[in-house]
Amino acid sequence: MSDNRKHMGMKAKTTIGNTVIYIILVLMSIIWLIPFVCIVFESFRGENTGQVGYLIPKQWSWANYKALFVEDPDKTVQFMLWYKNTFIIAAVSSLIHTFIVLCTSYTLSRMRFRGRKALMNIMLVLGMFPGFITMIVLYTILSKIGWTGAGSVPGLILIYTASAAMGYYVSKGFFDTVPRSLDEAARIDGATRAQVLFRITLPMAKPIVIYQILTAFMAPWGDFIFAKYIAHGTSAGMTVAVGMQNLITKSNNSAHYTHFCAAGVVVAIPITVLFMFLQKYYVEGVTGGAVKG
Amino acid sequence: MKRRFTALLAIAMAFCMTIGAAGCGKKNKAEDLSELNGTYDITVWVSEVDGVKALTEQQIDKFEADHPGIVLNATIEGVSEADSATLMITSVEDGADIFCFAQDQLARLVMAGALQPLGQATAEEVRNMNDEGAVRSASVGDTIYCYPLTADNGYFMYYDKSVIPESDLDSLEKIIADCEKAGKMFSMELETSAWYNAAFFFGTGCVSEWTTDENGGFVSVNDTFNSDKGLIALKGMQKLLKSSSYNSSSSTSDFAAAVPSAVVISGTWGLADVKAALGDNFGATDLPSFTVDGKEYHLGSFSGNKLLGVKPQVDKKRAAVLQKLALYLTGEECQVQRFESKGWGPSNKKAMASEAVQKDVALSALGQQNKYAIPQGQIHGSWWDIAKVYAVSAKTATTDAELKKALQDYQDTISGLFAMSVDEKEAWSIIGSMNGDGWSTDISMICDSKGVWHSDAIKFEKFDEFKARQGKSWTVNIGGDGKADGSNFVVEEPGYYFVKFTYDKDSNSGKIELEKSSDIYGFTVIGSINGDGWTIDLPMEIAADGSWKTTEAYTMAKGVEFKVRQGKNWDVAYPSSNFVVEADGTYFIKLNADLTVELIAK
Repeated sequence: MSDNRKHMGMKAKTTIGNTVIYIILVLMSIIWLIPFVCIVFESFRGENTGQVGYLIPKQWSWANYKALFVEDPDKTVQFMLWYKNTFIIAAVSSLIHTFIVLCTSYTLSRMRFRGRKALMNIMLVLGMFPGFITMIVLYTILSKIGWTGAGSVPGLILIYTASAAMGYYVSKGFFDTVPRSLDEAARIDGATRAQVLFRITLPMAKPIVIYQILTAFMAPWGDFIFAKYIAHGTSAGMTVAVGMQNLITKSNNSAHYTHFCAAGVVVAIPITVLFMFLQKYYVEGVTGGAVKG
Repeated sequence: MKRRFTALLAIAMAFCMTIGAAGCGKKNKAEDLSELNGTYDITVWVSEVDGVKALTEQQIDKFEADHPGIVLNATIEGVSEADSATLMITSVEDGADIFCFAQDQLARLVMAGALQPLGQATAEEVRNMNDEGAVRSASVGDTIYCYPLTADNGYFMYYDKSVIPESDLDSLEKIIADCEKAGKMFSMELETSAWYNAAFFFGTGCVSEWTTDENGGFVSVNDTFNSDKGLIALKGMQKLLKSSSYNSSSSTSDFAAAVPSAVVISGTWGLADVKAALGDNFGATDLPSFTVDGKEYHLGSFSGNKLLGVKPQVDKKRAAVLQKLALYLTGEECQVQRFESKGWGPSNKKAMASEAVQKDVALSALGQQNKYAIPQGQIHGSWWDIAKVYAVSAKTATTDAELKKALQDYQDTISGLFAMSVDEKEAWSIIGSMNGDGWSTDISMICDSKGVWHSDAIKFEKFDEFKARQGKSWTVNIGGDGKADGSNFVVEEPGYYFVKFTYDKDSNSGKIELEKSSDIYGFTVIGSINGDGWTIDLPMEIAADGSWKTTEAYTMAKGVEFKVRQGKNWDVAYPSSNFVVEADGTYFIKLNADLTVELIAK
């Protein structure tokens, strides 16, 4: 009897516990989702373009999205241009970044050379400085080359990829788990180091490659500080983040707030889609590198 | 659709004008500008407000049409007037050729060399064309540095007619009561903007007048905020600050906020928002009065304007074209266009007098308020942050004493910007890496009767670097090599040292020395040692741990007494009663870092 009661108690306890947890989770997800829902609703508001005190649009419309892709006579909204800039910067720097990171981590994982430990330590320490402390110097240098203002695209690519090698940790951890005997076997068969990397190791390291591409793509995609500084007020050299910020300045806010929201949704789409398709690899990549072999 | 049509129409019109003007160009030509003919690539930064870029483009087209032979490939960017000065100063080279900015940025821009002063003839023309206050705002000293673009950078009161009856409009207290009764907000940006909160001070007759020299550097200020009048102003401000309706904002979109405002203190730029949100209940007028101790004070305000500047150019021909264009863009025709499409109040006297401008509700409200306004001259950039603080203090303050303290703190900070007596300007100090704060704090030195400067004991690490400088500025400084602007003095051996510095004004050179003792700060031993009757100071030296020790050992008999004193006088001496030697012997005398005295047998 007492056993039975205890058993019932456990069950009831679990139910109550689960209910409480679910309520908390639901509340948290509501809190977390509200800003996104707001942005999406506002992006469909048709009656005016400023900020208002209510959430549900009185008039639903695609006008805000259209405004992004139609040429603005006033040239305030140059979304296509910003999108193109951002995409080129993000795509090119993610490719360069990934290539450099993979080569660095493979080298540091497989080869033993003098100063290897020191090099790793130096990169660790250097990586601890926030990148933007060098902003003013970088601006001056890039400005002399002509890679600021309208020419900011190559400038930003250089900035985002220049320190790529320092992000080798996760991939090095992953390469460490790949058995060295495979390398050795390939080397005995006459493969060069590069062939070993590209033919043998990389096909096995798909998750980490995808993880690198994703993270390297996202950093420039969302960066604001450098992009704003390097663009120097020139809309031809702006990225999406900088251009969008221009839409919600004090005097632009009432004319472009809903465009800003629509742009926010459009910007989120590629990243979201990319993540949905690559999520499996992404998780493997992050956790795979964490276990040291 | 309508907007696109308007744009098309505008382009079509511009096109027609081009054709038209080209056709009759020769006939109109009053002055010969043919030597300026050519093609110029220029960058223009105008306000990012919707429509301004398109309008500017049309105006530049018109300029080209009026001056056949001059071809301008203009890149027009929308950069907010708050940002443009910062961007120009970041890199004058990369900045725009022509840019618009708010007048309070002028001093910074002049100091950064980002503005080409106007030539004499152009300056005369600008002076004749524009409102006197606007011209003053474009000048530093007697030189005009840029072109007045608008004269509407001031604030007044937008209100909701359904909440505030017309009979209450003159009284701040009544308006606050109306807002509280209706459960609506009263928006005035007091805590985060000195631009708005100064209204109360100007209302009671306080002033904050800053003087600049020819280079745009601030030399003095006449500020009367910390006074009885200032106290009245803060008391008036408290009425609003402590109201449940108070909202620290100047955004006209507050009229449509979740808890809507019934009153927003803002400027002409918010007009469209207010009209959209309030419709028929839209109202605009001058600021109200507040009453303290039975006396009424009408709120003051800043009046100011936007300016258009031209960057200094290498090519003289190009500079002349840009000056011509700037003059045209700020002339009567363009100002009227800007008023008609954007509602910007003109600074041009003829444009101001036009009927349309006189009839504009927002501009006429601004005009009413302008009777109480103070033209915003050159104001020290730090003022805006310093002056926010008293509003924050006033919100929580409950007594007069607290308000007075807030004003006193304000004044202390203001005077700190200049306060430096002649002695302080002449005084030498050292600055360097030894106090671990990256060359940001000066260590002061004292001058002895011979004109030699001494510092207190400073702990140095190996390779610490420092320099000596005068008046806490780098204008006059001496390095380790003894030369003006010379290289840093580098410390070779770590430990405590006194810096001794001798300066020769005639050759503007000096000598930095590190010593283990100091005439002013150093300790010496005095007493009945060697049978001496307390007349001779025996030398000591400071050690690496901050303790002091005699340079040699002395033979002392039991019963000998002495003290360790600083600077060879009795102001500081240890121990408090004489040290008595307890056994015969030869000893070093040591003053520990914790100020105890002990004997160390040789």
